[in-house]
Amino acid sequence: MPDLPELNPVVHGRLRLALLSLLSGVEEAEFTWLRAKTQATDGNLGAQLLKLEEAGYVALKKNFVLRKPQTVYRITESGRRALAEYVRALKQLLGPAVDR
Amino acid sequence: MQDGITEQELRERLGLIERMIAEGRRTTESWGWTFVLWGIAFYAAVAWSEWGQSAWAWPVTMLIAAIVTVAVAFSKRDHHAQTTLARAVGSIWLALGISMFLLFLPLGLSGRLVDLHVFVAVISGILGMANGASGLILRWNVQFGCAVVWWVSGVAACFGSEKQSMIVFLVAVFLCQILFGIYVMIANVQGRKRHGLTHA
Repeated sequence: MPDLPELNPVVHGRLRLALLSLLSGVEEAEFTWLRAKTQATDGNLGAQLLKLEEAGYVALKKNFVLRKPQTVYRITESGRRALAEYVRALKQLLGPAVDR
Repeated sequence: MQDGITEQELRERLGLIERMIAEGRRTTESWGWTFVLWGIAFYAAVAWSEWGQSAWAWPVTMLIAAIVTVAVAFSKRDHHAQTTLARAVGSIWLALGISMFLLFLPLGLSGRLVDLHVFVAVISGILGMANGASGLILRWNVQFGCAVVWWVSGVAACFGSEKQSMIVFLVAVFLCQILFGIYVMIANVQGRKRHGLTHA
């Protein structure tokens, strides 16, 4: 029986997984856009993004647009790899059930 | 399953990833209104130049439509995500706007925009190019269909009478600007209803 893969705990969190998945489909996204798409609170969203940033999975850039602060996030190469590995592990764990 | 994680939970995670990737790729803004706006602007310009006999009809109408487009687009930009696809399509339409402005404004003001056949052929060709490129990038047959209508309109304008050219142009405006714009807006509302709110 082959060893079952471990699920990356940083990626596995529901909101963090949603954020990584969202960011994987865009070049970059504003904090407000991520909040609108996930329906998360500012505090929770900020905390989860910080965890992803600390893990090196997302990078942020702070800009000023019309004198208003704007935080823009993008997924890093390492984040993209972590998400791909997580999906691979998920599929392996689900095995043939994945297509059901 | 792993450490008490159920199969249902794993499936739910997989579903969440698929939903979020699709959500990220879905355009956040509907641009259907711009097609309708420019369709109405074309009709207004034609009506003004036909009945008002003014050289200012086209430049003024196009300028107003451009200002309204920029103002509305700017006011809608509160939540934003940049995708390569959206940037590619946006660039095409921005370049089209600049080309039309730089071409038709001086032509209209200098009084050299006198041949209706050439005018309809050029404007149809440019709009056919933009719709065709956009339709191919988005793999959207309906928009590519609009490109075909514009190209047909451009070719037809070269052969018919002035009146026939204008009728062909007005029909193309109705089909590819007004009708297509309304279709895009309806499709966008239906899409939003189908996807509902995304709780993550």
